[in-house]
Amino acid sequence: MTLISALGVVLSRSVVHSALFMSGSFLGISGFFVLLNAPALAAFQVLIYVGAVTVVILFGIMFTQKPQVRRYRTIINRQFWPGFLVAAGVGLFLAYVLASENWGAVQAGHGPREVAAFARDLLGVSSGSGIFTLLFEVASVLLLVAVVAAIVVSRRKMGQGVDRGVRE
Amino acid sequence: MPQLPAQVQQFIDALVSAPPLEGYLVVGAFLFAIGAWGALVRRNAVVIFMCVELMINGVNLTLVAFADYLPGAGGLGVSYAVLVIAIAAAEVAVGLAIVLAVFRSRRTVNVDEVTSMRG
Repeated sequence: MTLISALGVVLSRSVVHSALFMSGSFLGISGFFVLLNAPALAAFQVLIYVGAVTVVILFGIMFTQKPQVRRYRTIINRQFWPGFLVAAGVGLFLAYVLASENWGAVQAGHGPREVAAFARDLLGVSSGSGIFTLLFEVASVLLLVAVVAAIVVSRRKMGQGVDRGVRE
Repeated sequence: MPQLPAQVQQFIDALVSAPPLEGYLVVGAFLFAIGAWGALVRRNAVVIFMCVELMINGVNLTLVAFADYLPGAGGLGVSYAVLVIAIAAAEVAVGLAIVLAVFRSRRTVNVDEVTSMRG
């Protein structure tokens, strides 16, 4: 289901359909996270990707799309089959390497299933995870900078810019 | 309860048991490849962002699979995955702002037509 939705992102003619396929693919991945003993991460995935990122991208589509002819000729550039060959080569190579490597006696269940243990890892309290204290702060500063930068970049300058065809 | 045929029982057992590590890795690799394909062939900048998100998710899935399966990881990969998600969200915000700015000055989001950095 994840892979079919991902193909839908690439191949669907309407951009809105691409966005909805993308959220379907993210939902499949959050299911994988539940299987991988990371239910908190699955919750983050649903909240951030399926909720926030999809809504932001839909807003971007709303602001930027003209009604357009939706034919493959217009949405896909000339490198369709060369791009497919390159991507299929990369995918098959990665899959072959990852599947043929002998990972030893591995088994599931090493992840932190309890949210409390996961939170101790993320905040750098538990042993061996001290670096996450720094990384957590860096990530929060990065998010602040990104929000400010998004506002600054997309702000309409005084006396310039056109919105919805109405000249100001 | 009637006895199921052996093949069906085997199939059900394979479904409910924990999948092997390679399954997650192959799904992650193909997700990455599909995202790369889309980022290469699509013309719309917003769709290219979606495909980059798919690639990030493929890598994230591989990371979490390794963190859960390898005994030496100690489950810390999940914390890294949270940081990756945060950074990807920041990237989407900034990227869509750039797309909006480009659209405002060029009236297009087609990356083949945006060939010059001058506004």
